Amino acid sequence: MNKVITINLNGIAYQLEESGYDALREYLDTAAHRLAGNPDRDEIIGDIEQAIGDKFRALLGAHKTVVVTKEVLAVIEEMGPVENAAEEEQPAGAAAGATTGAAAGSAGPGARTEAGGAAKAADGAGAPPPVRRLYCIREGAMIAGVCNGIGAYFGIDPTFVRIGFVVLTFFWGAGILVYLLMAFLVPTASTPAEKAAATGVAATAQEFINRAKAGYYEGMKHWHDKAAYREWKRRYKQEMRGWKRNFQQSMHEGARSMHENAQQWQQNWQAQWGAHPRPFVGPAVWPLLGILRLALAICMIFAVVSLVGYGHILGFAMPSGIPLWVGVVFVFIFFNVLSWPLRALKWSWYCQGPPYYGMHPRAIGLVDSVLWLVFVVAMIWVADHYSPHFHEWLRMVPGWVHDFLEKVRAWWQTV
Amino acid sequence: MSVNEKFHPIRKGLLEFLVLKIIAANPVYVADILKELNGTEFATQEGTLYPLLSKMRREELVDYEWKESEAGPPRKYYELTAKGKERLREASEYWQKISGTVKNLGQK
Repeated sequence: MNKVITINLNGIAYQLEESGYDALREYLDTAAHRLAGNPDRDEIIGDIEQAIGDKFRALLGAHKTVVVTKEVLAVIEEMGPVENAAEEEQPAGAAAGATTGAAAGSAGPGARTEAGGAAKAADGAGAPPPVRRLYCIREGAMIAGVCNGIGAYFGIDPTFVRIGFVVLTFFWGAGILVYLLMAFLVPTASTPAEKAAATGVAATAQEFINRAKAGYYEGMKHWHDKAAYREWKRRYKQEMRGWKRNFQQSMHEGARSMHENAQQWQQNWQAQWGAHPRPFVGPAVWPLLGILRLALAICMIFAVVSLVGYGHILGFAMPSGIPLWVGVVFVFIFFNVLSWPLRALKWSWYCQGPPYYGMHPRAIGLVDSVLWLVFVVAMIWVADHYSPHFHEWLRMVPGWVHDFLEKVRAWWQTV
Repeated sequence: MSVNEKFHPIRKGLLEFLVLKIIAANPVYVADILKELNGTEFATQEGTLYPLLSKMRREELVDYEWKESEAGPPRKYYELTAKGKERLREASEYWQKISGTVKNLGQK
């Protein structure tokens, strides 16, 4: 009489004699060990488990429910040793993986949850999430999906990106310019694979299945230890649920929920500002606000130019080791923080003030932006006419823009 | 050392080429590939084939889709990608050259 152990191969339970179970476990552990560092490790293990399961099923029937040790050994023999096909290409990675695998393997029962965590990390490498790329996402887009795409790329709410663009627009209409450029340059995600790449979420059910399999393999390893197995099962289910929720939300309802988020945010914003007492500034103060903003903007441009050109702002050098663009972004953020109260004052007036000259307050905002744009263009025209230096400089701008576009294109092709 | 053992590296190197050839003829399950290779000098096992296929998939030579099987869970059904077809064409050409060389060398 022999003890029987029930195992789970790819979602189907099989009963094995105890020593057969030990042999199979050793075979699979060795396979996992040899494949350490292989990005498809979990998938290969899943395939092998499925093949083993198929062979077991062929052996069993209505009157034979247990796979005996001899049969398990025969199946293992038939499967053959698992060879790492990628071994020759990446010995370094394989070696590193092998050591971490050994470390996880040698950890005692107390460290089971950590081992699970390590396996999960390996799982991340095993079923690699699609590489994230910048795309325009049409679903739930306001215009061309540029902000949607940027939001998905950086994993932030597209509403904030839109706000960023709107803010940039007040800054000499740069938002509109950047938006148009990106709408032309950045491709639109149309195939499911591209959409997956745009959000970094696996789009296919296959990835889902892979995850499930990887998890089951982890569970099988704990099968002999009931407490550890229960703990694993609880965590596994939780994770799968969470993942499934993410999956559904981002793929099926993602666009809509983003849109709802945006509306919610907008409402909150209006409610918050509507509750405030009316600000003391009237339209008469607008030019003052505008001048203040212009002064700030000039300071910012000066800061950026001095940072890019001389590597320091008013003698404050960049700490070494921090790339230049971080500094530039920091200056932009600093400018936006400084000028935020001015913009907030203006917007609060637009949004809750009485209709002004019979115009909708939002329309005033638009007119204001257009006026700014006209003002800037007029200033450029005047400068172009009366300053030969500026004229020379202006003539070089198209070349720069061309260079910049070429660089962006080259960058896009390397990403 | 038998001839069989001696030529192990050659067979190993050629396996990918043969697998490409088999998949090109017909989209197949792994069991079909094994069956076709069995009885030839290139008889192999799942333990070798699955890692090889996963490597080929990573190199975008093959792709698979899940198909229901008559008994048991769905299985992977492998097909060649455009890149895989191109690789097969290159490999076939190269093989022609090699076998021509082997045949002609030493003959006056």
